[in-house]
Amino acid sequence: MTSPGPLVLVVEDEPQMRRFLRASLTPHGFRVLEAKTAAEALTLAAAHVPELVLLDLGLPDADGLEVVRALREWSRTPVIVISARDREGDKVLALDAGADDYLTKPFGTGELMARIRVALRHAQAQASTSAPVPVLEVGPLRVDLTARTVTRDGKELRLTPIEYRLLVLLAKNAGKVLTHRQILLDVWGPPHAGQTHYVRVYMGELRKKIEDDPARPKLVVTEPGVGYRLRDPAVTG
Amino acid sequence: MRARRFLSTVLLVALGTALARAVRDLVALPDLVMIYVAVIMVAAAFFGRGPALVASALSVGAYDFVCVPPYYTLAIAESRHAVTFVMMFVVGLLVSELVARVRRHAEEAESATLRAHTEEMRSSLLSAVSHDLRTPLAVITGAATTLRDQGDKLDVAERAELLETVCEEAERLERLVRNLLDMTRLEAKGMKVKREWIPVEEIVGSALTRLERWLEGRAIVTRLPPDLPLLSVDPVLLEQVFVNLFENAAKHTPPGSAIDVTARRVDGAVEIVVADRGPGFPAGDELRIFEKFHRGRGTSAPGAGLGLAIVRGVIEAHGGTVTASNRTGGGAEMRVLLPIVGTPPGMPAAEEAGAPS
Repeated sequence: MTSPGPLVLVVEDEPQMRRFLRASLTPHGFRVLEAKTAAEALTLAAAHVPELVLLDLGLPDADGLEVVRALREWSRTPVIVISARDREGDKVLALDAGADDYLTKPFGTGELMARIRVALRHAQAQASTSAPVPVLEVGPLRVDLTARTVTRDGKELRLTPIEYRLLVLLAKNAGKVLTHRQILLDVWGPPHAGQTHYVRVYMGELRKKIEDDPARPKLVVTEPGVGYRLRDPAVTG
Repeated sequence: MRARRFLSTVLLVALGTALARAVRDLVALPDLVMIYVAVIMVAAAFFGRGPALVASALSVGAYDFVCVPPYYTLAIAESRHAVTFVMMFVVGLLVSELVARVRRHAEEAESATLRAHTEEMRSSLLSAVSHDLRTPLAVITGAATTLRDQGDKLDVAERAELLETVCEEAERLERLVRNLLDMTRLEAKGMKVKREWIPVEEIVGSALTRLERWLEGRAIVTRLPPDLPLLSVDPVLLEQVFVNLFENAAKHTPPGSAIDVTARRVDGAVEIVVADRGPGFPAGDELRIFEKFHRGRGTSAPGAGLGLAIVRGVIEAHGGTVTASNRTGGGAEMRVLLPIVGTPPGMPAAEEAGAPS
């Protein structure tokens, strides 16, 4: 890379993890800024305005969730939270508070880079002032927002209005996790934010139409205890 | 509990006395004594030492009062009766002492067995865990130090192979730690079941997605009827159950062999069966495979033998059952039965299929 790469703020109290993240990010052209505590993270974020934040949820001085909330008061910088398995509740809270995605420890460099690429791309799309894209293409799926048609490998799919709205939401956020709550708010509206089973049942219906084998989904994958993710082959390779 | 035992003893003596009174005029005095001895023995055997002593004392009094002339007074006319009283009381003491001793021995034996069992469990845990933790660690350390110290002397293929080994072993270590944590949580009774309404297909599907790379090249035949009811279960825990069942099936069958998943509604429950075409179980192993640290099917397959114990723990926490059997035509079959709890919540009004509006 010729121009200085994106600045990533790594917020992590474990020195070994910081070393691993630095060693993975630098060769990909990222510049790395490191914070060990929540307080340090907020100071550095305000001073340097990073393009992305990698945030461990277990920090010594405060809950990582507080960092997400504090950041979101003034910044739209994408935040990817890092947390252990079996802390699904914490991940959901962080995502609903405005974090963009999450990584479960342990994770590999491939997964890390895929998440970062998706988060940066979405941040760019949101920041751009140009007109929204009329056609969304994710893997074999093609959603024409103007004609309101969906094709898979060129073949048209007949979706119900709700299935279509679900797919549009997933496609607009391709590669990124969406929590049950985020989906409910977008597709059914605030009065139904607690009806998680709506999402599960309609996601099942959508899968029947877009997946080869709906019981072995390859496109819309379940993130257990968190939500769903439409896989984007463009970033996962 | 204690009061009830003493009350029963008093009733027992009263019963014996009623019997003695009824047959008093038909039998000799020594036979009446036998009734009371029997009462004391019964009290000792069923109610313990204290009640036996009470029974002895009461029996002596009742015998004197009802059976020994002059009737209905505690006065003793002949001194030989006094000897009977003393003998009766001594028998009572001896019997209660014997019973107490037998009980104590039984308890000691039981606690010794329990101790031995716990000890055995602990050492089997330690040896299983330390072996399973050390093996991947040894491989990772070996491969990583080789790469660090002699990396420049290795060709590309050799380096790639060592790196692949590091990744595989790290994954194995991750699985083991995950299982150990799950097991610990199950045993600490700290596992909270967070029930949510979820289709069976999503649980199975999310487990299959997680194992995508592991199951690559395998036919997974799922037969899930479309009219299955939603289940009220913990989605994360149930996903783990099916991950463990699929991992187990994959571990014990040749690569490429098919795994079948079927579900159906049975009376008040949903039954989900994961079946393979591997060697099945040796006779008698169908129950033991769900025990902790049991490595199934007499193989050297990797793992600490925790996967299926976790399956059982989680399913039982949901009020369900899991059983293993050999499949007709060969292979193993795991049958999960989950009771349908509560009434599934309503759905928004059905929509028409057609052009999205």
